[in-house]
Amino acid sequence: MGQIYYISALWAAHDINKRGGLLVDGKKKLVEVIKADHMSKPDQCKKICERMVLQEKVHILWGTDGSNMMKIINETANKYKVIAQNTASIADELQDATNFSRYAFMSSFSTDQVGRGIAYYYSQIRKKEKKFYILCQDYMFGHAMAEGFKKGLKEYFPQAEIVGEDYHKLFLTDFAPYLEKIKGSKAEVIYTGDWIPDAANLLKQARQMGITLPFAHIFLDEPNFLHEVGVDGTKGLVQLSQYGAENPNFKTPEQIKYYKTWNNLWKTKWTAPFNTRLFEHGTGNIGSYTQQTYWLLSVIERAKSTDPERIIKVWEGDSYQYVTGKIMKMRPCDHKAIQDLHIFEFVPPEQQKVSFNIPPYYWYQGCSNVGPTFTVPAEKVLPLMDRNLDRCKGKNDWGE
Amino acid sequence: MDPKTAMYVAQGIHGLAYGMILFLVASGLNIIFGMMGILNLAHASFFMLSAYFSYQFLSMTGNFWLSLLLAPVATAFFGILLERFLLRKMHALGHMGELILTVGVSLVILAGVKIFWGTESLPLKIPPFLKGLVSVAGMDYPVYRLFVIGLALAVLAMMALLLYKTRLGKIVRAAVSDADMVNALGINMPLVFMFVFGVGTWLAGVAGVAIAPILLVFPGLADQIGMDAFVVVVTGGLGSLSGAFIVSIIFGLLSSYGVQFLSSLAPLLMFLFMAIVLAIKPTGFFGERE
Amino acid sequence: MTNKVFKWTLWIALVAGLALYPKLFGIYYTNLFVTFAVFAIYSVSFNLLLGYTGLLSFGHAMFFGAGGYGTALALKHIHGLPLLPAVMIGFASAALLALILCPLVVRVSGTAFAMLHLAFGQLLHMLAYKLRGITGGEDGIGGFPIPAFSIPGIVSVDMKAPENFYYFAIVVLGISLWMMWFFTKTPFGQIQVGVRDNAKRIDYLGFKVPQTKAVVYVVAGAFAGVAGSIYALFQNLISSGALDIFTSFAPITMTMVGGIGNFLGPVLGAGIIQMIEELTTRFTEQVELVVGVILILVIVFVPMGAVGLLKILKQKWSARSASRPNLERAS
Repeated sequence: MGQIYYISALWAAHDINKRGGLLVDGKKKLVEVIKADHMSKPDQCKKICERMVLQEKVHILWGTDGSNMMKIINETANKYKVIAQNTASIADELQDATNFSRYAFMSSFSTDQVGRGIAYYYSQIRKKEKKFYILCQDYMFGHAMAEGFKKGLKEYFPQAEIVGEDYHKLFLTDFAPYLEKIKGSKAEVIYTGDWIPDAANLLKQARQMGITLPFAHIFLDEPNFLHEVGVDGTKGLVQLSQYGAENPNFKTPEQIKYYKTWNNLWKTKWTAPFNTRLFEHGTGNIGSYTQQTYWLLSVIERAKSTDPERIIKVWEGDSYQYVTGKIMKMRPCDHKAIQDLHIFEFVPPEQQKVSFNIPPYYWYQGCSNVGPTFTVPAEKVLPLMDRNLDRCKGKNDWGE
Repeated sequence: MDPKTAMYVAQGIHGLAYGMILFLVASGLNIIFGMMGILNLAHASFFMLSAYFSYQFLSMTGNFWLSLLLAPVATAFFGILLERFLLRKMHALGHMGELILTVGVSLVILAGVKIFWGTESLPLKIPPFLKGLVSVAGMDYPVYRLFVIGLALAVLAMMALLLYKTRLGKIVRAAVSDADMVNALGINMPLVFMFVFGVGTWLAGVAGVAIAPILLVFPGLADQIGMDAFVVVVTGGLGSLSGAFIVSIIFGLLSSYGVQFLSSLAPLLMFLFMAIVLAIKPTGFFGERE
Repeated sequence: MTNKVFKWTLWIALVAGLALYPKLFGIYYTNLFVTFAVFAIYSVSFNLLLGYTGLLSFGHAMFFGAGGYGTALALKHIHGLPLLPAVMIGFASAALLALILCPLVVRVSGTAFAMLHLAFGQLLHMLAYKLRGITGGEDGIGGFPIPAFSIPGIVSVDMKAPENFYYFAIVVLGISLWMMWFFTKTPFGQIQVGVRDNAKRIDYLGFKVPQTKAVVYVVAGAFAGVAGSIYALFQNLISSGALDIFTSFAPITMTMVGGIGNFLGPVLGAGIIQMIEELTTRFTEQVELVVGVILILVIVFVPMGAVGLLKILKQKWSARSASRPNLERAS
């Protein structure tokens, strides 16, 4: 899904450029975004990173989903002493003792936080369902997502019951056997870390089989397949998000202006591939990547330099507020971001005005989407710290 | 029936259904690879192409039956083009030539699909009259899946009829054993090959239209389903219709009961079974040809 | 006389060119060459099975991966393991895998051989995912120490510097190619060609076909392991992707493009494919389209591969020059 990353970075860069660029090294310079495709292949990734650093002479490597790709990006950044920002890979181990690098910053949330955040919501906020079925993809990411949830349940929701736990093969064609087990287990919520196409096929086939259980997820938000499943089928989905807008979404005139700028451009000017439903609002995951880029650019601006050492000095311990109102803190010892997280409950269009509080008062007519939003406070979901990392020895979870 | 037994029965039905889906997807490849011996790695790409065509026809006409009719034909058209102008030249090079060519074709189809329909997924709904659940053996079962099962059985019947009851079928089966002889008898072999390849691609197309509403239609669809089709055809035995059918059922049941009882091994079972069968009988379950 | 002098100058030019390459082209292209070297070894090892023995494998990546994982795991768990033993462990892991599979595969040929390898290759690929504790799953094993190349007491060369690793890779490439070439010239190698063309006849001649196939199989697997080992060292990462279907397909396309019938064909093919990849990613986003079209064009118009094409061109050129009076030969 490379386009959503590209447009996020491009948008932030374009916005800054329109205001004259960044004042670095004594001069106002424009931000340039160069697109590079790693094709999910390690040798291609290494090659392309080196090309960016050695030939295109980039200052920042901005990456990607796929923690094995991000590892290579971080490593290349470390080798050639440029900054690497991780906006989309949510593996905790990227910043652990084996893999940590001073040049790599993780502004994204991580799998550990996701599971614990969702567990916190069900125990402290929702306080209704108690029986959970865990269905994740059978590879490291899927298992990490499951572990985070199990840990969170132990921590916040000991009365909860895990009535089943399964790991399906990637790109599975037929979910029916798993869904049958879920039916038989009397689960009340299905927790999954699946992404497309598994996320879509899981939801579709569940609804086709008459299973109306809610899903607790992070990736079941792509509008195309949500529309395919329809309003009823998408009602009640629970998503944990790092986008960070509490209700109502539009509290200040600036926020309305920001949203409308994006939305109007989408309606009038943008062409393929950016003119599809996926890019209509610029919120959600796309919004999150955009905000993370703004953070990066702000750090560079305050460092007044593209020198990595100055950037590191500013970014470590930095606090920054997103357009949505969320406050981010960069934990200095392991370069992970401390942030509130939010839970979205998906509701039918007529109820979406609680979050979409300006005309036309809905996100989408054709499917359920973000309605009530709840905050999971930062202190409840502090990112995992690897205490084996020397820099972190003797520090608490806040990094102090 | 107590709930436990009900669940096991349900898994059995799911297994059979999935087996039918596998057979439907593999049927075209069974003809092309199994019978003609052509290593067509673009088979899954035609499947995907047909799914995209069905979306197109559905949005243009709003009629499911029309798209079920037209999309496979459109796919077969491209298949025949491929055979006539490119694949034919590969006979002399054997498998290697077919392999490289069809890999190239699959890449071109992938690129084409992305160019015309974009990289995101396409929403494809089950037609309203096939929606909903029906009571089967005491459980609620999706109507659409019954439709797909019915379609797969119809395809099986059609293929069996074609191969064993018609003159054309006789020619094809003879050509599979000894193409030169059939040629010597005055039958236009190139035309037969072209026709059979067309039928094979048409079947991939039918599978694509039928299965698309159950799966997400996106550019990775070919990769998702491609391996399964191959595994079925090869394990069933090249050249064997019954082999492909029986192995499909076995895979389906393995898959659903595997998930039920051996869930951590479930992802491995398909290849494990294939490896075991091939290790014992390298030509596959009912395979005759090399 | 002139022919020999010509050959020697070519060799010297080649060696000189390789030696000066890093200085002339910089880090990025140096690293590109290392990737080429890895895939050259890998493809030649594959061609021992295809071109020489007539066995097409759809799962050669499992040996590549075995070598990579062998080396990575060894370096991760054995402190202070030197460079050459690490590579040897990779070599041995792949060879061991080949030995284990031998009894199953040597009685098989043709399509069945290809498909059996597809099954095993995919099985091992899935196992690499599942046994996350050992293999690190899709994230793989990374960050293991890269030992220096050292002869105790004499010299120690840091292998993290791209230039040094390049020379190391070149040497490994050269030695591997030489060993495999030598193997094809041995009686074993010669028998393989016979097996490819007519296995029955070789059998009647008294040679034990399965046993000789086994030897080639292990050699082919072991050198694929060497390639995997260098790959892991180069990336400082080995992940389950090294065992996937695309990695199994890479040597097939490279060998085909380069030319099956010639020992160096796959090397040429690896180089060509690398260049194509490099150029396409620079100039277009439609990589699949370009690669697909190129594959189609190559197989339709140049099915004999680059080596075959060169042969044809050479023939045409010498045919032309033969028609002119050749004074050199007269003297």
